[in-house]
This record gives sequence, C-alpha cells and structure tokens, in this order.
Amino acid sequence: MSKKESKDLMIDGKRLDGRNPDELRSISIKANVIKNAMGSAYIEWGMNKIVSAVYGPSEALPKHTGDSEKATIKCRYTMAPFSSLEEHGRPGMNRRAVEISKVTSEVFSNIVLLEKFPGNEIDIYIEVLQGDGGTRAAGITCAAVALAMSGIPIRDIPFAVSVGKIGRTLVLDMNKIEDNYSDADVPMAINPRNGELTLLQMDGILTGEELSRAIEMARHAGETISRIQRNAIGEQYGQIDA
Amino acid sequence: MKKLIMPGDILLSRPIRIEHTIVENGKTYATVLGVFDDEKTSFIPLEGLWYPRPNETVIGIIEESKLNVYTVNLNAPYKGIIISKYARDPIVNGDVVEAYVKELDKTGTVVLTRPRVLHGGKVLYIKPAKIPRIIGSNNTMAMQLSAGTKSSVAVGMNGMIWLHGGDTDLATEAIFKITREAHISGLTDRIGKMLGASSAEAQPSPEAHREA
Amino acid sequence: MHVSTITEEYIRDRLLRGLREGRKGLLSYRGISIITGTMPNAEGSAEVSIGDTKVVAGVKIDVAEPMRDTPEEGTLTTAAELLPMASESYDPGPPSPEAVEISRVIDRGIRAAGIVDTEKLFIEPEKVWGVYIDVYVLNYDGNLFDAGTLAATSALLTSRMPKYENGAVIREGDLGRLETKNIVTSCTFAKVSNNIILDPDGNEELFAGARLTVANDENYLRAMQKGISGSFTAKEIGSMVDITFERSKDLRKLVKNAAGE
Repeated sequence: MSKKESKDLMIDGKRLDGRNPDELRSISIKANVIKNAMGSAYIEWGMNKIVSAVYGPSEALPKHTGDSEKATIKCRYTMAPFSSLEEHGRPGMNRRAVEISKVTSEVFSNIVLLEKFPGNEIDIYIEVLQGDGGTRAAGITCAAVALAMSGIPIRDIPFAVSVGKIGRTLVLDMNKIEDNYSDADVPMAINPRNGELTLLQMDGILTGEELSRAIEMARHAGETISRIQRNAIGEQYGQIDA
Repeated sequence: MKKLIMPGDILLSRPIRIEHTIVENGKTYATVLGVFDDEKTSFIPLEGLWYPRPNETVIGIIEESKLNVYTVNLNAPYKGIIISKYARDPIVNGDVVEAYVKELDKTGTVVLTRPRVLHGGKVLYIKPAKIPRIIGSNNTMAMQLSAGTKSSVAVGMNGMIWLHGGDTDLATEAIFKITREAHISGLTDRIGKMLGASSAEAQPSPEAHREA
Repeated sequence: MHVSTITEEYIRDRLLRGLREGRKGLLSYRGISIITGTMPNAEGSAEVSIGDTKVVAGVKIDVAEPMRDTPEEGTLTTAAELLPMASESYDPGPPSPEAVEISRVIDRGIRAAGIVDTEKLFIEPEKVWGVYIDVYVLNYDGNLFDAGTLAATSALLTSRMPKYENGAVIREGDLGRLETKNIVTSCTFAKVSNNIILDPDGNEELFAGARLTVANDENYLRAMQKGISGSFTAKEIGSMVDITFERSKDLRKLVKNAAGE
C-alpha cells in the first residue's frame, strides 16, 4: 500500500466510501442475542461487528474490588484475533484494551443507579468480532442497549460516536483507513437526555473551535444513533397493549 | 394511553413517587423499560431486577451451610440466609428451597423464614419483572399452568420457578411464552389454548422440535 | 435470560423415558446452523449454533516463521476462547484447562484429517504461511467440541489465501481459496445416569460422568478424546463410533452446504 496522507482521503468533498463529511455509516442493532446474559446486543456499524453482554449485579469478587457503598461497573472490551484485515492479533487485553475498558466503565458508571447495589459488580462485556474503526464508540452504543435490556436501573441510554479531522474538514464516524491517516480523532459518548459527555478522548491536532463543532456533530448524529438503539429495544416487544 | 417507555424517558413533568423512576429537576423519569399508563399514572416494568419485600415467596438453591446458617443463592444481587434452627426438614447443599422474606438487612442480606425443601424437578430462571404475569391476578395463571400440565409449580418473586412432575416441558414452554408475550393482551386465553390443546391429546408428546 | 437448573434426579427420570430438553431421543442433535463468511476481515469465518450453544471461528493467515524441525512447512494454530460473556461461570484470564482441551481436540481432528497441507504453505527460506484458527464461544449450552469443530472446518473451507509479493502480504482483491481437502466433524457423547446421549447440553454436561468426542471423516476416525472421570465399556465405545459414522453424514452435508460445495 502506498503511503497515504490525509489529503488523499477526500475527493471533491466526498470520502473514500462515498460518504459526506457529516454522514454516519449504516448502523443496525439487534437486542437479546446471548441467551445466558441478563441483557445483550449485537451491532453492525459499517464493517464493525460487535457483541455485548451484561451480567449481574452479583457479589463483587474478589471482595476488595467491591465498594460497600455502591455497585462497581466492570467493563471488558476485547478484540478477537481475527477481527482485523491485518495480521492475526493476540486475544485478550493489551494496553489499549485496558484503557478502553476503563473509560467505558466510567461511561456506564455515570448512568447506572449504583447506590442500589452496594458490594455488587455489574459486568459489561464488549467483544469486537470484526473491527473497522470506531470500535469503542460502536461498542458503547451496543452495550448501552444490552444494559437497557438487562433491567438494571439506569438514568439514560447513552450513545457514542467519533468525529475526526481530515485535512481541514471535520468528518463524522471515521472508518479504519480514515482513522489511520487522519489528522485528529475524537471519540465521544453522550447522554441524550442532557447532552452531557461521559467519554471524550482526543488524538491529533485540533483547534478549540473545531472541538466544539465536533461535539455538535456528535450530538446531531446522536439523534440517528439513539433512534436506532430505541428501535432495537422496541423491536423486542412488538405491539404494546399490556 | 399506554406507551412503551425506555430508561431515561420522561414519564411526567412533575415529581411523583412510583417505583422504577427517579426525579430530577422536578420531573419524573423511568429507570427501566416498561409500559406507562398516563390515565392511571401506573408504570409497569417490562425488565427489572428484584427488590425483596417482607412476606414474599422466593425460590433459592442452598449454596453453603456453616455456623448454623444456610446461605441461599437467589440469583439476585442479594444473598439469602436461613437460620438453621428455623429449618424443619434436613437441608443439604444443592437443595432447592421455597421460603419467605423476613427482611432485607443493612448488609444487603435477605433473611428468609419457613423454608420448605422442594425435591427433584427443575428450576427455571426468568426475569423477575415477568413473575407477576406468571402468577396472574388472583393466582389464575399459576393455577392454569399447574392444571394444564399436571406439574407442581412453585413461583419465587426473585425470578426462580420450580417445576416437578407432569409435563414439565409443556410448562417450561408456556412459561417462556408468558415471558415473551407478557405485554400483549389476551395472554390468559392464549396460554389456556396452548395448555388445553395439548392436554386434550392422548399422551401428550412435548417434543415438537426439529432434529439435526 | 432463559436458563434453568435441573437436578440429577430430574434428568435421570427423564432420560429413562427418553425425554430431553427441546428434542427427541437420546441420540439426536439439537438444531444446527452454520453460516460462513460472517466476518469478512478474517480470511475465513463461520458462525455455528447447536441449540443455544453459539460459537464463531475466524481464520487468519499470516507470514510466519517455520517450526525449527519443519523448516519448509507452514504452521497451523488452533485456539479456543471461552468468553466470559458466554456463561456466568467463565472468568476472564488465561485459557482454562477446559479451553485448552477443546482447542487441542479441534486441532487434532483438523490436522489428522489433513484439511490443510502445511507443506504447500512454504514461501521462502525462513518464511512460511501461518494459519491461525480461533474459536470464540459466545453462548455456552454444552457440546463445544462439536460446535467448535464444525466452525473451524467450515471457516477453513471458505478461507481466502493471501499473496506474498515483494515483501508484503496482499489480503484483498483477486485471491484464490486456501487449498483444503477433506472434511472433519465430531460427535460428542456423554454418559448421564448410565445413559449414553449424543450432543449433551449445558445441564446434561453438569451431570455427565464421562464424555467421548469422536472426530472422523467419511472413512476414518481422525481424533478421539475421552473426558471427565467416568468410564465407558468397549461395547459402548464401539456403538458410539458406529453412531458417529452414521450421524456425521448429516454433519458433513451441513458443512458442505455452508461452504457452498
């Protein structure tokens, strides 16, 4: 592959996959895919394919990992060794996965009513079976549906999406190639009810003005993402006339 | 009007105290999936965990016995305990028991009384939010289940159900049907039809599943 | 969440009457489905369900160093991952003995059946192709051996073969298939309350005293593995082998269909 620069990633205002700068990839979510779990969901976000499952609350083990005042969220984000188009990966957690797991745990700690379950843990698993850029955002969006299905009380159903920068253009939801050659990447998770951010990471070069536009783009995309999440949940119930 | 509500959705723009909701900035929001009836201001959860209340029936599995206390797995964020002097039957690890909630103590332990060992059979785990439909109003659904399958059925509010004898496969199928269709009206009739149709056949064969 | 716990007494009573959860007879499988190509980033992939057991296998093919004793042969590596999301009883961490056993049994069947000819995977001195098979368990309800073997075989049969040109691996574009021959499947039996049953589910495995996995192709046994502390008589083993040859016809047909052959 010839060395790409970010300027090669956009031609006549369109991206390599034909999208406009503010266009999401196609997203579909299916709830209740893992029978053993309290709640689960599967997401296809562009070429990303991710499954998520929620277990608990159950007694925090080992005991010292628990909190006698409230529940602890233990998120585990991992990528399958066959998930990338590149070489065979190592299964389990590398340093990147440890960091993503930590920030994802924090996203969900923000919305779960933790004080209801002192001494307990809630396990949230996110397994990337196929990755094509933006897996942490897709994983959080998927896990949020799994969590809603679990019946664990939450304040909101968060969504996540990443905004990047190619040359001087802000682009929504970068895929892997764009991510590899972009000038900046800003993954975000947002609670739709109050619009507040619970995940914000940044890598690259960005002005303050660009950052606020990036957040605005993410919020706007959230309307679509939230609708897809809600449809996936609603689909499990069909008609409502209880 | 009844409406499907998702966690975080606003129920009312004023504060009210009903279960499975929170009040923020003077407004009431749902914390679990459920159906809200704005005429009756009632919110029925479709998913949700179990919160123990005194005198409720639970089903559990004995996990451990030491220092005159049995520890009971209730498949819940709370551990159950039975003081062994209150147990009339001999109890061993692995036994399925039916018992009643005395209280939820400050450490998050559910103190249980009047244990009864349920011998044999199998235990189903369903989401606790569906249990009220398994029981039905005035116990109608549970009685229908037991009459239509000739199975003994013991239902725990914690989401565990014990089945023994009769056509346990049909009973299992009916229970899962109830959990799937809990929110669609006419449930009692549909279940009645399902159980009635099967019990009318000579020697019911519960195996209607495909083979490889 | 629809799961159940059953007592041994319950299972014994039912097996005496020939009854099992969701199927007919002691020697029948639950419904099986195989879908290949579900993860196109991988060179090959397959998703397999047997009843509520769900696994996905992915194949990656990379440039690798040859083993010291076979410098002109490619390598084949099989791993099984019991994801903590698949069952309340699986924990994160290094592979459990259970996972190691499953991966080694799948690996033995595939090697013994000669599905991949590693001698054809030589590139140049010190460089060969390494074929990595990863079996991921997404939902556990027993019989991971058969599900894993079906998934691994189906993924191999549908794998692309990357090219090595001017020091770079080409994984996309005009690629042929990984050359394979033969199909291996397995049948796993368990002895529960003195009954021999095929395709044990999660509850049945809980009470199994002994387990036998028989992997075969059309004509030959290719791998076997007895597990758990109980024992089988020679007669029992003979009959399980006979049943395996019989039942594997259907399994091979399923693999062929899924691989588009």
